[in-house]
Amino acid sequence: MRLMMLALRNIRRAWRGGELGLLAFSLTLAVSIVTGIAGFSERLSRGMEQQSHHFLAADRVLKTARTVPDSWLLEAQQRGLKTATVASFRSMIYAGEQMQLASIRAVSDGYPLIGQLGVSDAAFGDAQLVEHGPSAGELWLDSRLLALLDLTTGGEAGVGEADFTVSRALISEPDRGNMNEMLAPRAMINLADLAATKVVQPGSLVRYRYLFAGSEAQLADYENWLTPLLEAGQRWEDVRDGQPAMATTLKRAEGYLLLAASLGVALAGAAIALAARRYGQRNSDNVAVMKTLGARRRQILHHYLAQLALLCAAAIVLGGLLGHGLQWALFASLQGLIDIDIPPPVWRPLLVGAITALLCTAVFALPPVWRLSKVAPLRVLRRDTEDSSEGMVASALIGVTGIGGLMWWYSGNIQLSAALLVASIALGLLATVLVLWLVSQARRLSAGRSRGALRLALAAIYRRRFANAFQVASFALALMTLTSLGLLRANLLVDWQMQLTEGAPNHFLINIQPTEIAPLEGFFQEHGLSNAGLYPMVRGRLTHIDQRAIKDIADIDAERGNVNREINLSWAAELPSDNRIEAGTWWTASDLVATERVPVSVEADLAKQLQLSLGSELSFNIGGQSLVAVVSSIRSLDWSSMRPNFYFIFPPDSLRDYAGSYITSFYLPAAEKPLLTDLLRAFPTMTLIEIDALIAQMNTVVGQVSAAIGLVLALVVVCALLVSVANVQASLDSRLQENAILRALGASRQLIANGLLLEFAAVGFLAGLLAALGSNIALYGVQRWVLDMAPVWHGSVFMVVPVLGAMTMAITGWLYCRVVISTPPLQVLARQ
Amino acid sequence: MIRVQNLCKTVTSGAQELAILRGINLEIKAGESAAIIGVSGAGKSTLLGLLAGLDNATSGDIYLHGQNISLMTEDQRAALRAQHVGFVFQSFQLLPGLTALENVMLPLELSGHASPETAARVFLEKVDLADRGHHYPRQLSGGEQQRVALARAFAVEPDILFADEPTGNLDEQTGQRIIELLFALNSETRTTLVLVTHEMALAQRCGRQFVMHDGVLTEAVSNAESADTGMKQSSPAQSGELPCA
Ligand SMILES: Nc1ncnc2c1ncn2[C@@H]1O[C@H](COP(=O)(O)OP(=O)(O)OP(=O)(O)O)[C@@H](O)[C@H]1O
Ligand SMILES: [Mg+2]
Repeated sequence: MRLMMLALRNIRRAWRGGELGLLAFSLTLAVSIVTGIAGFSERLSRGMEQQSHHFLAADRVLKTARTVPDSWLLEAQQRGLKTATVASFRSMIYAGEQMQLASIRAVSDGYPLIGQLGVSDAAFGDAQLVEHGPSAGELWLDSRLLALLDLTTGGEAGVGEADFTVSRALISEPDRGNMNEMLAPRAMINLADLAATKVVQPGSLVRYRYLFAGSEAQLADYENWLTPLLEAGQRWEDVRDGQPAMATTLKRAEGYLLLAASLGVALAGAAIALAARRYGQRNSDNVAVMKTLGARRRQILHHYLAQLALLCAAAIVLGGLLGHGLQWALFASLQGLIDIDIPPPVWRPLLVGAITALLCTAVFALPPVWRLSKVAPLRVLRRDTEDSSEGMVASALIGVTGIGGLMWWYSGNIQLSAALLVASIALGLLATVLVLWLVSQARRLSAGRSRGALRLALAAIYRRRFANAFQVASFALALMTLTSLGLLRANLLVDWQMQLTEGAPNHFLINIQPTEIAPLEGFFQEHGLSNAGLYPMVRGRLTHIDQRAIKDIADIDAERGNVNREINLSWAAELPSDNRIEAGTWWTASDLVATERVPVSVEADLAKQLQLSLGSELSFNIGGQSLVAVVSSIRSLDWSSMRPNFYFIFPPDSLRDYAGSYITSFYLPAAEKPLLTDLLRAFPTMTLIEIDALIAQMNTVVGQVSAAIGLVLALVVVCALLVSVANVQASLDSRLQENAILRALGASRQLIANGLLLEFAAVGFLAGLLAALGSNIALYGVQRWVLDMAPVWHGSVFMVVPVLGAMTMAITGWLYCRVVISTPPLQVLARQ
Repeated sequence: MIRVQNLCKTVTSGAQELAILRGINLEIKAGESAAIIGVSGAGKSTLLGLLAGLDNATSGDIYLHGQNISLMTEDQRAALRAQHVGFVFQSFQLLPGLTALENVMLPLELSGHASPETAARVFLEKVDLADRGHHYPRQLSGGEQQRVALARAFAVEPDILFADEPTGNLDEQTGQRIIELLFALNSETRTTLVLVTHEMALAQRCGRQFVMHDGVLTEAVSNAESADTGMKQSSPAQSGELPCA
């Protein structure tokens, strides 16, 4: 109790002394920014993830080719999970004279567990949302099926041996599924009617999806129970597995937010480090006096540790509150931009904030306090007994490592944390070397030549060279963070917008016969539609790799490798515009004459899965005939680009002997949807795939994510500014002293002001240069390994960032140092 | 009270060795007052710092209150200071963040005094600053600051008081006032006083005078005792052996 009182009184005294203020401010800000960003991104990504579960119509899905025992579902229900079953198969649908192949889903009553179905009373009509599938005896048909079958709602149609009333047009499903499933238009019946159709016979191809929904804990619990029971061919999936394009977007967004929050932590840490150093320096004199008055080392330690502990506790409480306010403000500013339910606040960010405060205090404030306890009492008689740069490297290293650990703990991503750690250490070293070299160079050049004031100033800079290096390094870190995040944001947005620009193709048309090309282009022209070009396509199956049969190659997961089914093969003379060659070369006309073996270009991810390299020999079975080709290049491409993409591309003419068709994609505005009926009537054998609903979903997500990223970036700007303020403040005392002396010696205010501005601008400029270099390197790593994007080099930042850095530093410096310049020299000198 | 034997202090700056103190011998009894005078750079502050245990000697022994502080750890010396030593500096050395009263309370708190505030108030009263207790050092004039420092030094009722040019930063009149106060408090508390100064007049008020010259301390013997020599070397340097080898 007495100790507590003493500590409280000490902190009150220290507060008045002014040294504690900046440290307290930085700590509180660090906690609030970390709690704010961490909480915001965690809640946002949870919200987005919850919403993304709509895309599964459930939280988890069990995919299987056979029915599973009823006991599995009972078990799930007993554990509090909701379940539903979807059986899908292909079958003909008959209506009067017409018949059409359809991809049919038989759904149980609970379907969809999450999300809604869009239905309408007319083909291509406006969707009205319902939370259930068709009742027994009802058949819901895709608009194109209605068109193809010449039906309107209320009509009759048959599936297998059962008859149904066509009650609704099916406009949208939450879990529309991948394109493969959409090749045939969709129809939906109730699971209870499945048996009556008699289409499901032993050996017929039916896929089952068992849907589960419940709390994460229940799901995890059930997953633990279920996993040991799963057989080959049964897959337990969450939204990430089911929706590659969406998953990539979400993963990138999450990665970005995580990165931003981690860097926010690092920046706050840097600000605390600067403040703590100043705290230490300002207290050295006090400690010397206290020791002279008989304070023992333990007393000094207690005194300062108690201060830090109280400070830390206050920062956690206050910062936590502010952080939650920040979360609230962030979500408020997003209102209208996003339409997801924000999950309630969570504890983890507060914990992250608290641990950040504790760790930052331990790592950055303890070493100066520890050094304080070792301050020699002799300092009261001789001021220069302490070397201020002593232990700085060690504490910088401890600090960087501590922050790295914190980022690791927070992000759970060791690569990311390690990359940032290495980058900041390298940056720090580089800054130190560069500054030391420049300072010694400047001193050498000006030796004997410069006039008094300038020489004094240079000497002062030289004396502070380690502190200056530290400043450059920390500011460079702040700028680098900002630059990287800014560039990354631009990259992400460009990337997403490329996929989702207004007018990006939203319909695919396949099975176009060569003879239909001319009439189809006529149709497009007549209705003013533009298409993404016609690509030839041959369906084939990969059978052998280097003469080994695919089914014998044990380490290929046939399902994941997409090889156990027919694949679209294409041919082209030119590399498709959004593809990039990763290895090998694209063919030229002369290559093709020279070789007798057929070359083939393979998509990079597939090549990796199948462990293909240049020169691998591939055998294909195309409509019963076999074709042998040699891998001549490996291409990377963007599967989310909504254009026709191919795993395998052959040279023109090499697939001439095989019956092929063409594929195209085109953009159709929502208002012109009824045109599709005309299209399908004019070209009944073509298959239409609508992906506009999927694109609309993507658009919403991208919109939310971009807005969130913009806000987080703004917060990081605040962190970076904090670092620059702390930076300027760190040198305020010694500047105050120096400039008082300079002015006492007759230097004009103008001269001192210019000198100050110049020095700050130089620090900012150097930091900017380093940041431009560092951010390019960091970005390369982050894009390549964390976000899974193609890296881009940004030359322009070398022009912009140093100037920006110089200006920021100069302005901050000016704002703070007006005091230095306008304080009468006597007042400063008298304080000594 | 204070006994110094063969005290040497050598510092190395760069490649050069600089002998600041070269074999100091000194004995000051309880209740005595001693002045150390000498030109700037002679080593007066260095000696004072060593006597108070603020720094380690290169060789030699210092006995303070009967204990050899050369053998003590820094913390033990600090504890000794807390109990027995007071300090007054040329540059006052008040903590800027504490009020005058709190500055006086600080050493009392450090030595575990039962009621630091009451005691501190008593001593502020003695230096005529009872009404300025809540002011911060920057709100006080130099003379006032030094009076607070005096109160702080005497508040713990030390056995020994060290003062390093206590009037060095003050004008003559203010300095005079500080000196009066110093000696008044000194005689009241019967403290052993070691005072470093430039001023002959001030030195004369002390019972004994020592002259520091080039790292060697010599006692100026009062005229009555030894009119013929006038000076008495306190160090054994004259015997020919090198004390600081
Ligand atoms: N740690 C050290 N390193 C280098 N030189 C030192 C050190 N400590 C003291 N000196 C030198 O020793 C000499 C004596 O210093 P000291 O401060 O004791 O002198 P002083 O007699 O108190 O002078 P003044 O009257 O000016 O205060 C000076 O020349 C000083 O520069
Ligand atoms: Mg001195």
